[in-house]
Amino acid sequence: MSNLVPVLIDAFSVGGLYALTALGIGLIFSVMRLANFAHAEFVTVPAYALFVLSAQPTVMAISAAVLVAVVLSLATERAAFRPLRGIDPATMLIASFTVSMFLQRLLVFAFDSRLKPVDPLAFLSGSVPLFGVSVNLLKLTTVITCLVLLVALTLFLKYTRFGLEMRAAAEDFTMSRLLGVRANRVIATAFVLSALLAAVVAVLFSAQTGFVQPRFGLQIVIIAFVATVIGGLGNLLGAAVGGFLVGVVATLLQTYLPPDLRPFREAFLFLIVIVVLLFRPQGLFPARGLKERI
Amino acid sequence: MIDRASPFAKNPKGFVHSLPSRAGLERLLPLLILVVIVAAIMLLAGQLGIVQQRRITLGFISMISVVGLYVFMGNSGVLNFSSVAFMAIGAYVSALLTMRPQVKATFLRDLPDWLASAQFDPWIGILAGGLVAALVALIVGLPLMRLSGIGAGIATLSLLIICYIVLGNWTGVTGGQRSLMGLPTYVTVWNAGLAAIGAIILAFIYQESRSCLALRASREDEVAARAAGVRVVRERLTAFVLGAFICGIAGVFYGHFLGTLRVENFYLDPTFLYITMLVVGGMRSLTGAVSGVIVISALAEILRLLEVGLRLPGLDAAIRAPAGLGDVVLAALMLGIILFRPQGITGGREITLRGLRD
Amino acid sequence: MSALLEIRKLTVSYGRITALSEIDLSVGVGEIVAIIGPNGAGKSSLLNAIAGVVPAAGGSVTLDGTEMLRLPLEESVRHGIAMVPEGRHVLPGLTVLENLRLGATIRTDLAAVKADLEGFLDAFPILRERRGEPAGRLSGGEQQMLVIARALMSRPRLLMLDEPSLGLAPRIVGQVYDMITQTRARGVTILVVEQNARRALSVADKTHVLNGGAIRLSGTAEELSGNPQFEAAYFGLRASVDE
Ligand SMILES: Nc1ncnc2c1ncn2[C@@H]1O[C@H](COP(=O)(O)OP(=O)(O)OP(=O)(O)O)[C@@H](O)[C@H]1O
Ligand SMILES: [Mg+2]
Repeated sequence: MSNLVPVLIDAFSVGGLYALTALGIGLIFSVMRLANFAHAEFVTVPAYALFVLSAQPTVMAISAAVLVAVVLSLATERAAFRPLRGIDPATMLIASFTVSMFLQRLLVFAFDSRLKPVDPLAFLSGSVPLFGVSVNLLKLTTVITCLVLLVALTLFLKYTRFGLEMRAAAEDFTMSRLLGVRANRVIATAFVLSALLAAVVAVLFSAQTGFVQPRFGLQIVIIAFVATVIGGLGNLLGAAVGGFLVGVVATLLQTYLPPDLRPFREAFLFLIVIVVLLFRPQGLFPARGLKERI
Repeated sequence: MIDRASPFAKNPKGFVHSLPSRAGLERLLPLLILVVIVAAIMLLAGQLGIVQQRRITLGFISMISVVGLYVFMGNSGVLNFSSVAFMAIGAYVSALLTMRPQVKATFLRDLPDWLASAQFDPWIGILAGGLVAALVALIVGLPLMRLSGIGAGIATLSLLIICYIVLGNWTGVTGGQRSLMGLPTYVTVWNAGLAAIGAIILAFIYQESRSCLALRASREDEVAARAAGVRVVRERLTAFVLGAFICGIAGVFYGHFLGTLRVENFYLDPTFLYITMLVVGGMRSLTGAVSGVIVISALAEILRLLEVGLRLPGLDAAIRAPAGLGDVVLAALMLGIILFRPQGITGGREITLRGLRD
Repeated sequence: MSALLEIRKLTVSYGRITALSEIDLSVGVGEIVAIIGPNGAGKSSLLNAIAGVVPAAGGSVTLDGTEMLRLPLEESVRHGIAMVPEGRHVLPGLTVLENLRLGATIRTDLAAVKADLEGFLDAFPILRERRGEPAGRLSGGEQQMLVIARALMSRPRLLMLDEPSLGLAPRIVGQVYDMITQTRARGVTILVVEQNARRALSVADKTHVLNGGAIRLSGTAEELSGNPQFEAAYFGLRASVDE
């Protein structure tokens, strides 16, 4: 038991970040069938904001990071994805790559590609006792934040008017518009929520790694993509579960794989992904009424 | 089996119309034009300095790879992010076969004896690189070809990542994270150009085959194609293996062009670049694949010249852009083309003397 | 009678297929107008073009003098047009109650919305009983009631229904048409499309026979049923739609 607690906290603090990222991707996918690779930069750019504002008070730096994420995400939607609405998902996916590449190169241009130190949550560096073992405070905070956000997002989707409209749009976009749901507003809501989640991931993940570089968001987004697909594209609950699952599997592989195989642990992870896709092409929890056939 | 009256010819001006009915020469015309264009670029390169020649050589290598990508992705309509993994396989296979035994002994401790002590001819490296890539494609493709859409995208992306991780950590055989140095650098603008022409011819022959016709039918409507008896998985697999063969050879040329292999050279950046080239040109035609490479390479070159400082006749000062801006602008241009022409520059049609035709 | 909906030279095409060519049609305030015609006649294309689901290639559609074409899809309901598309389209994963609430997306008079909602739940006890269940679990007939009620939740001036009797048992079709006549009694104008001509003719003030993308014949129920050209208009002229 006692040595299981740290492993579980590890697993869930990694899995929680994947889950939040997968949700950010899933929200946009469910309303407009866009598998948004540029989500990577929705994470990276706010992390750079934290770096730029590292001399400022924590609250201010984090608020600025959130703001930057939201503005970036709305601007991307307006400039790149709105003109492509309704086009086939593969082309949209590729367009989102190009957006991602553009933003990444912009970051390299502005900041070069070396690692930049960030430590937005320095005050969480200690440990607290839990179930008789000492647990890293930052990891614990990560787990709690992720759970709180999951609950908040669920309540938002279930009980607010925006949430209702988003769920309707995810099920049948045209019918929802016939009922008066405004396409631009629903999509903008999805992008804002996605950006909020991305900003939180940026803060927590940069606090865990201690640095930011132009590929910062990409590493986490690639794995989150996997989580989204494994969970069942278009199914938000599936995306969250998929995220946690991938985090847990990655941590377990890291912990229990023989040392000389450990460098290959992500290869095993992606092998599992392929196997899941082969046996359940719609993911583990397929979404109802999803038009895109996988 | 599939004739002009087939239900797949949804668009009456579609591919079915363009194939069997045309006379032989007219049918070959797109191929001839593309070959002439590539040959012309080769001749032009011969007049240029060594730096420009190297850039053009690199462009030809991209062309081989993008044509390989087109063979599968363009004809089947299935997303594929794994083409660069097959390049990597080709490059490493050829490197291990053609490097000098002394060099191998210092870097690579886990090679089997027959390989550690041998040094093969470049030709063997090229063929083996392509064939091993094709073999791997056959094995992994067998299960994977059932997937389409985003699922196929994620599965092939996983393949790329697995390949990257394995090559990057199998230190005794690939050099791992360190660079693998000492590949014979025999690649010139001439042999790279000829290889590009070879890839184009191969892709063209394939695209005129019945197998490819059936594959294209499944691209338009998978369900209807299956109902009409098209064995979709088999046709896809054929294209996947052929595409991997071509990409493997592209990888061989890339390795022997650089002389040094790093796993980073075979990961996300080139993957995005090649896919974007294909999409910018127009994913659905060979002309699109070739023209995408030419347009993007030319833009990249112009932007690079601007960064170095472009001196125009009659102007005293050089026009000069800040370093790194070229990459940003290139990405912006690619995005712009995708936004304004989602079907690519060619709109997915082949080139003829009277312009672009379906 | 003054016209609520005025359609002039409306043309709809999908690529090289012309589904409607230069249709003229007007619907008076408080009328029930039926459009009948065989498969592929262009009936759905007509309603979809009016609502903005498909773009029109030419012509005009005015509602009470306001031009409707070229408005974004979500604006038509704000101008008073509610549509029940072919195939019902409940939002299957949302509950019955949520489906009804979405019908009132454009309204801000929340107290009145609540009252309307209760009204529909009273009128259809089965909907009240299953209000918390996903709408996709309802039977076809229940779903049809739900989507009509949902459309009415926006308090439209014009209700458009595309084949409301499709795939329903005769008894349920009777209920659907009762609902249509009650709705008209409350002052809502109705444009209904049917392949099943008899039912539509029985409630409509005026019926148009659409075939091959053009209106072939118009009149009241008596005029049409006595007209020797009726069968030719309905069944003939198919060839002109196919290329
Ligand atoms: N999205 C579309 N793309 C291409 N052609 C279409 C499309 N929708 C309809 N059509 C064509 O337009 C014509 C009219 O179709 P429409 O759906 O309006 O007919 P309908 O009268 O509603 O038929 P039904 O009774 O079968 O519903 C048909 O020839 C149909 O094939
Ligand atoms: Mg219809």
